[in-house]
Amino acid sequence: MTNVLSHEKGGHATSSCMSRRNFLILGGASVTVLGLLGATGTALANAPELVMSSYARKVVGKVSALKAGEAVEFSYPTDDIQNILVKLGEEAGGGVGEERDIVAFNTVCPHMGGIMDAGTFKASHSVLGPCPLHLSTFDLTKHGMVVSGHSTESLPQIVLAIEGDDIVATGVMGLFYGYSRNPSGA
Amino acid sequence: MTTLPLPNVDYVPLPPPDADVLTTACAYCIVACGYKIYRWPVGTEGGAKADENAFGIDFPTGGALTPWVSPSQHNIAMHEGRPHHVVVVPDYATEVVNPQGNHSIRGGTLAQKIYNPDTPTRQRLQYPMVRIGGVLTPVSWDLVTDVMAEVSKHVLENHGEHAWGMKTYSYEYFENTYAISKLVNRAIGTPVYAPHDKPQAAEDAAGLDDAGVNSFSASFEDWGACEVAFMSGVDPYETKTVLFTHWLMTGDNPNKKLIFVTPHKTMGVEYGLKNGGLWLPIVPGTDTVLHLALAKIIIDNGWQDQEFIDKWVNTKWEIESGYGRGTRNTRWQWRTTWGRWQSDWEDFQKFIAKEKAAELDEAAAITGLDRDLILATAEAIAKPRADGSRPKTSFMLEKGNYWSNNYMNTASLAAVGLLCGAGNRPGRVISRGGGHQRGGMGAGGGKGFLSPEKYPGRRKKALNVDRWVIDGNVRFMWLMGSTWFPAMLASQELADRVADLTVRNEHHPRSVDKEHLIQTYKDRVESGGMVLVDSDIYPVEPLNTRFADIVLPAACWGEVDFTRCNAERRLRLYSKFNDAPGEAKPDWWAIGQFAQKMGFDGFDWKESNDIFEEAARFSRGGVLNYYALAVHAKREGKKAHEKLRELGTTGIQTPIRVKDGELVGTKRLHDPDNDWGEVEDVTTDQKWLYAFGTHTGKANLLKTPWANDGWIDFYEAIKPRKDKGEVWITNGRVNETWQSGFDDLRKPYLAKRWPWPFIVIHPDDAAPQGIESGDLVEGFNDTVYVQTGEPIGVKEKDLTFTKLMEGGHIKTTTGQFVAVAIVSDEMRPGIAKAAFNYPGSMANSVCHAVPDPVSGNYRYKLGRGVLRKVGESAYKKNFLEMSLKPRPIA
Repeated sequence: MTNVLSHEKGGHATSSCMSRRNFLILGGASVTVLGLLGATGTALANAPELVMSSYARKVVGKVSALKAGEAVEFSYPTDDIQNILVKLGEEAGGGVGEERDIVAFNTVCPHMGGIMDAGTFKASHSVLGPCPLHLSTFDLTKHGMVVSGHSTESLPQIVLAIEGDDIVATGVMGLFYGYSRNPSGA
Repeated sequence: MTTLPLPNVDYVPLPPPDADVLTTACAYCIVACGYKIYRWPVGTEGGAKADENAFGIDFPTGGALTPWVSPSQHNIAMHEGRPHHVVVVPDYATEVVNPQGNHSIRGGTLAQKIYNPDTPTRQRLQYPMVRIGGVLTPVSWDLVTDVMAEVSKHVLENHGEHAWGMKTYSYEYFENTYAISKLVNRAIGTPVYAPHDKPQAAEDAAGLDDAGVNSFSASFEDWGACEVAFMSGVDPYETKTVLFTHWLMTGDNPNKKLIFVTPHKTMGVEYGLKNGGLWLPIVPGTDTVLHLALAKIIIDNGWQDQEFIDKWVNTKWEIESGYGRGTRNTRWQWRTTWGRWQSDWEDFQKFIAKEKAAELDEAAAITGLDRDLILATAEAIAKPRADGSRPKTSFMLEKGNYWSNNYMNTASLAAVGLLCGAGNRPGRVISRGGGHQRGGMGAGGGKGFLSPEKYPGRRKKALNVDRWVIDGNVRFMWLMGSTWFPAMLASQELADRVADLTVRNEHHPRSVDKEHLIQTYKDRVESGGMVLVDSDIYPVEPLNTRFADIVLPAACWGEVDFTRCNAERRLRLYSKFNDAPGEAKPDWWAIGQFAQKMGFDGFDWKESNDIFEEAARFSRGGVLNYYALAVHAKREGKKAHEKLRELGTTGIQTPIRVKDGELVGTKRLHDPDNDWGEVEDVTTDQKWLYAFGTHTGKANLLKTPWANDGWIDFYEAIKPRKDKGEVWITNGRVNETWQSGFDDLRKPYLAKRWPWPFIVIHPDDAAPQGIESGDLVEGFNDTVYVQTGEPIGVKEKDLTFTKLMEGGHIKTTTGQFVAVAIVSDEMRPGIAKAAFNYPGSMANSVCHAVPDPVSGNYRYKLGRGVLRKVGESAYKKNFLEMSLKPRPIA
């Protein structure tokens, strides 16, 4: 290998890239609906819920306590990972509740780790941002997709379920900034 | 209704400590951030502990600005025929270009560009192909280059070099562009050549060149150090991200005032406004008037930098000096000394005093800008402080400036910059922001003098290749890495004409038999048709999917060792780290095979380093001069590529000189501090290193009368017509896309962000048509002007729009495209902005293919048309693709 700059010794064999199958396989519209395609958002009410996850379950809020347009901070799946829970007031990908508008997202920018929080949420656009470091913004109606900016991933979305008045975090979609593997919190 | 499982990656492999590490720079924008590639065989992985991974840090990293691998930065690639993990991440340790590992979303997803048949990159072209009965059919390189050579010989013998043309990228690495130049200019010797972004081989920002200011004279440090940045027709946040997010937002002076001249309030503009800056939402095409008004305010108030002007601006006599009785018909000569543009400080003051468009009220009316905003801008860029010190103002220009009124906008901006004392000092520069990287390397011996085009007075002009093709003069055409039609103007008309000459011609091969192919293509040529070859890495609609007779697969970034520079002329090696797919070869190799079969000498290169070393001596006359590096490498017994590899992501800024035996880069051009006295070793001395790029070393102050007949009649003709309900339909890019989307649409995350081109429309323009965000909208112009024929102007007014029209040289056609609406008040009312050159819709179809008669450049940004709702897009109500939110949110 003549064209190599450095080639130190070390390393060890581990599992391959896809061996840990704790990603979510998501079905249709259920309490933890994600990735619903289409215009009405009403069908598939009977589709099976196919969530396979080793993530901890944690009650992160009450439906009755949420005010539309106001973000609330919570930690999940571990105490040092900060997220926001928000009722957007418009239907959103992965949204739960009767209006399918309750969503939760991690608040660390996946670009370079800039810290956002409930105060960074822009209710008028259902957008989180801009990140204070380099101004990335994220569309919370489209699974945290970059609106404008540099993050090479969407904001990690916290998967939610409704149990009575409880809002329950059940999993995570996306790798948290700074992690090579998400902690499960379990 | 269906559901999709969303990919939910919550894990990414880390490189082990013994992973191979190579350096490269980003494949995309002019900034060219430094990147590192970590490569290791599939089967092992690094661990989360510091001593278990190649970064030497613990994961999770526990803070911002730390090395991290996002899932988009990992892929599996083939290296020496075996699968390897590859991680492509910004260089977190670099101190140049992108400190702290800053990066854009484009570069941040480079790993997704890597060929991997499990991803959409499976669409890579892998074999040479010939169109048989409409179907692209794989053949061998040997056969296809035999055929190309035989047909080319026939064309050259029977129709001459003016019937053989090429249109290629100007930027895709020195090794390829040198090979192109050697073929076009020296071996074939044809003037029928144009780079990807222009119809003619001439200056980009001609007025800037004529002023004596090199388009890339600045260093990124200058943008970081300035106190005021005047940005004309550009928001660098959108198009050269890290130049904005590092150098303009921070740099040596984080408190700079940002002034944007653009009708689109993008994110960078919003940030500027929040931080004491200004936004001038100008009416397209009128920048010259703004510049004239600024000049008048500055002069009337005595805010000009008189000391600088006295020292650095040519007087009337200096402009004329040294010409003798020569013909003065080189482009810059006739533009700066003959006729309407020539000026000097004394003359310029008289001109400004009499120029109607420079008067504030008149300027406000033409530009659509508030007069107080123009005044505030003049004050910010030029007004001396109470202590007599001047603001350090730098001037950036890009396509919104020089692609709307090419010569006048660039010449007038240069004049304002010079009045403010900018152009050759730290933090006080005049430069392009840049688009593509600087990968063009000439081989000398250009045949531009064979161009039939002449400005009245027998003055030289470069040949307009589009028009030459439309007029049926080209019989063999080789495209390389360009979409051609959507990148040029009146796109549908141009594509239609190329279809006439190729697929609609009656002569098409029925088998891949070599003699049959050659004879069929000769018959095509003799029937007035054109044989079209296209080299690319992907299918390009419609160029190679529908029209090209022969399609050649190219090897690209990461598959071959390549070199080029960025906006601050920083030269780096772009390392090969994985295998090219199938039979894909670098374009220099394809040119070499073809040229050898044509019987041309000097094309038998074995590897790309051979070309890099050969081209070094041809670089000496230019700003990308790396000759000293090549010579020093040879003395050290190394390949020049290997010498450059040692410099990693830092590289070295060209021109490279020698001082005290060491290679030294050049930070800023034209700076008097570059004058080191004695010229050492193999340094090439150039006056423009420490003075302006004119014959005297002083800058030319050029005047630009607004109502001159090379412009104003065209402008009046192409304005939106209120009675038809038209708006301006300009075009541009956004941060999350790169050029024609050739990679973006194969990168899963970016394809999801922008699956289809946008058009941003102000609510006032959308409401009457019932257009909402997410709707499909057609932009339609029922009067698109296309110049045909008339390459030679004889009498003074021959090439004016009015005269061309009278003479029957303006064809009138129509143009349309369909894009997804984003309705937002971020646009100035009356102006819609469509995605430029994005697959699926050719927004340039509504723009006029009538070039600036002075410089030959098109007015790309000046489209118009009506907006019509077509229906709802798939993205209006789904949650998976294409965010429709506004960009400026702060």
